[in-house]
Amino acid sequence: MLAYLIFTLTIGGIYALLALALNLVWGGAGLVNLGLAGFFAVGAYASALATGAGAPILIGWGAAILAGLLAGFLVTFATLRLRDDYLAIVTLGFAEIVRLVALNERWLTKGADGVSGVRAPFKAELGVAGFNFFYLTLVAAIACLVWLALRRLDLSPWGRAAKAVREDQELARFAGKRVLRIKFEAFAVSAAIAALAGALYAHFTSYVSPDHFQPLITIYVFLAVTAGGVGRPLGALVGGYGVVLFLEATRFLAGMTPGLAPVQVAALREIVIGASLLAVLHLRPQGVFAERPPKAPRLP
Amino acid sequence: MTPLAQAILNGLMTGALIAAPAVGFTTIFAVLRYPSFAIAAHATLGAFAAWYVNTRLGAGVPLSVAVGFLFAALVGGSLEHAALRGLRGAGALTVSIGSIALNLVLENAVRFSFGNDLRGYDLPLAPDLRFAGLRVGAQQIETLVFAAAIMAAVFIFLRYTRFGRAMRAVADNPDLARLKGVDPERIAVAALMLGAGLAGAGGVLIGLDTSIDPLTGFRVLLSVFAAAVLGGLGSIPGAVVGALALGVAEELALLVLPATYRTGVGFLAILLMLTFRPRGLLGERAV
Amino acid sequence: MSKILIDRRAALAGAAALAAAAAAPRATLAQAGPIRIGMIVPLTGSGGPYGPVMAKAVKAVADEINAAGGVLGRKLEILVEDDQTNPEAGVRAARKLIDVDKVTAICGTWASSVTTAVAPLCWESKTFLATVSGADSITLLPHQGFLVRTQPNTTLQGRKFGEFALEQGAKRVFFLTPQTPFADSQFVNIKAAVEKGGGVAERLIYDDKKPSYRTELDQALAFKPDALVFGGYTADTTVLVKDVFRAGFSGKKIAFAYSVNQKLVDGVPAEAVEGIYTIAPSPAEGSNAHKRLVKMIGMDNPDPYTTQVYDHINLIAMAIAQAGEASGAAIRDAIRKVSQAPGGEKVDNALDGLKAIAAKKPVDYDGASGPCDFTDIGDIADCKFRYEQVKAGKIALVKIA
Repeated sequence: MLAYLIFTLTIGGIYALLALALNLVWGGAGLVNLGLAGFFAVGAYASALATGAGAPILIGWGAAILAGLLAGFLVTFATLRLRDDYLAIVTLGFAEIVRLVALNERWLTKGADGVSGVRAPFKAELGVAGFNFFYLTLVAAIACLVWLALRRLDLSPWGRAAKAVREDQELARFAGKRVLRIKFEAFAVSAAIAALAGALYAHFTSYVSPDHFQPLITIYVFLAVTAGGVGRPLGALVGGYGVVLFLEATRFLAGMTPGLAPVQVAALREIVIGASLLAVLHLRPQGVFAERPPKAPRLP
Repeated sequence: MTPLAQAILNGLMTGALIAAPAVGFTTIFAVLRYPSFAIAAHATLGAFAAWYVNTRLGAGVPLSVAVGFLFAALVGGSLEHAALRGLRGAGALTVSIGSIALNLVLENAVRFSFGNDLRGYDLPLAPDLRFAGLRVGAQQIETLVFAAAIMAAVFIFLRYTRFGRAMRAVADNPDLARLKGVDPERIAVAALMLGAGLAGAGGVLIGLDTSIDPLTGFRVLLSVFAAAVLGGLGSIPGAVVGALALGVAEELALLVLPATYRTGVGFLAILLMLTFRPRGLLGERAV
Repeated sequence: MSKILIDRRAALAGAAALAAAAAAPRATLAQAGPIRIGMIVPLTGSGGPYGPVMAKAVKAVADEINAAGGVLGRKLEILVEDDQTNPEAGVRAARKLIDVDKVTAICGTWASSVTTAVAPLCWESKTFLATVSGADSITLLPHQGFLVRTQPNTTLQGRKFGEFALEQGAKRVFFLTPQTPFADSQFVNIKAAVEKGGGVAERLIYDDKKPSYRTELDQALAFKPDALVFGGYTADTTVLVKDVFRAGFSGKKIAFAYSVNQKLVDGVPAEAVEGIYTIAPSPAEGSNAHKRLVKMIGMDNPDPYTTQVYDHINLIAMAIAQAGEASGAAIRDAIRKVSQAPGGEKVDNALDGLKAIAAKKPVDYDGASGPCDFTDIGDIADCKFRYEQVKAGKIALVKIA
């Protein structure tokens, strides 16, 4: 049970990073990124391939962040001028294209086989259980660092400008904010965080394949951010851990539904997940940790 | 020359399959301003309802398509209304996320009831007709005719009925429409039913050509999005043109690209389109 | 900030202590209650058509064994988890089965990506893994014997497809397949076999989510093939066989038995599937395991994955009895003693096998999917193939060879 908890919380940390990434663009600048799974994949593959070619793991993670930034720039370059709903669909397409490239470019990604044997840091030295605990703390520490950094950013002039863009682009532009640039920066940094999450995932489970990066992951991350509270980094952090715990908890439904075929239990489980997301959206649209509008600076 | 002509012909036939769901998607978008992911589930619901009346009650194709439309409209459309109405105040993106959740629920409700097994309609298959070195499926022509008939019905509905005109008024300018005494709630319900129904009818057409399972709608969701964006979000003729254009683009791309990248072609087309003509083929401004 | 960051040495020490704590209770817990065996199968997602019947077959076998008194006096308990045809979800399912339920073995993993993702967890936790995945790379993983696979690898299988096409008089063979881990190697083996017989082979890899494959098919038919080989799964193959029929292709059609299975044959008009040959791994003629399975799950033509999981659970039950201990390591050490003991008594189900083991007789299991003799890396050493043909909406046996 302990090992299972450790594992679940590690995956929770990775989802927390993804949720933080999404919260930055969605909660921060009001852009929707349905291609999160794509950036997650870019990071996972970048690090898996770099370390596979002999690079140290830290360099691999660096490569993942860089690749994420690059992919973020690439996507935004063509689409940032678009309205939000268009952006949603284009980013969804981006994720699908990443999956297709990973699936078909065998020379680079080993195709449908995936890249196995991705190096796990200190696993030989620590043993399996030791490694799992070490990685749990590592992922948690990185998630907290990113959270603290984003919280700072959130309260900085940049964060306020981003929220101004989110609320009303025209007004923000009128107020002299560089709207496009803020969107650009938010999107790229968010992509980089998602890519880092991908790298952490790859080195934790030692395997990446195109099948990993299906749209369902993006849906789970949206669940995390909405449940935690859009626009508040703390909400994303807690939401990320919360959603994985919730997903795992629904697994134990099977014990409560005797007489159902396994496929019905599986279907029921996804119904519960979908219905919960709907319920959260309805009952607590602002999430558990509602956004606190920054106080207006006091005039002397 | 023949392969090129054949590819264009194939593209039109594939495009006709996604035209109805694309129009459904764009109708919901035009009136309610959010991209609905539940379109996938509506298509699946329609396909299963039609499968039931076709294989169990012996209904023919026209009746099956009608049942698919009605079931998706009544069940899918009203569920979408009930599940997402409360979210509209929170913005289009929130509603859209809600529609993803609804889609998950509906897809799995179908899975819970019917399992994952593939099901086929009870229809004979006919070999293709050949002329001038080209081949066309008899059934594809039938599909094309159905798709055209559905579109024509939609046009007539929107143009010549009071309800249709009110719907267009809301799509063009919701505030003005309200001033003129159009009840936005009723229009919203009508748009959702029409949209879900069209997706359902499209699901039946896809099912006639392939076979159905809980993922029937989800498999074509990306193509439906691509078609709607290509034609211009919110434009109904645009969605038809977008679907046909996407179908042709995908098949033509096969002549030069590996076939595995077919889904990718749709998105490259979108990117090109949005870069050079952001409002799509026939749509409103996207910037 | 410093409160959050734990320094590395402290983390290492903590981890080591935790490792010791986690390892300790395992051994003492093992002997009580039922023997738990996990199943990870696709119940949702693209593999969805396959998982449910696999789960049904395994549960049926377990019920039969339990009704006869279980294994080592303990009941078998089957725990089924959905992998959503996604390795990320598969890994979470495996961790739950291994850490919470303490299963001794996991069987049924279907998608190659899920198996590759789950395998390391299994060998690290000394849990036995039996899989139906086809990627050649799987048995090459450093699994220390904790993995066996009942699906023939592509060298065994691809050649059979090529040779069978030649036997049917085909000289020009075209392979249509979605992108799978074995799309390449399968084709290489088909091609080699066809070329050896003086023929030629070509292939096209398609996108498996499309509602029609007309242009793909035009490209394939431009090659003027006299045999088409389908490499996909049921959903995409359904679309393909309809388009092939409409195109008026009159040559031979050959498919994996898991794609053109009974469900597909029932789901499409009879004329579209008429005459398609299917190939599946098989036990030698006269083996009863296949017939038993048919009776047990009440389905005339169980597809190859179902025959394979039937073998998984039978083998695991017998290996536990043979070892006298329900643990992954014990299964690993005993599995070949029940699957292929030299001169052993031939059995085709665990009930007979358990009796023979109780009588201290060596056992050689021949299952529903083949003789189930494993090489050192966990591949099946050899198997016969079952050639069937669709005739008037039924799948009829042509030969076993």
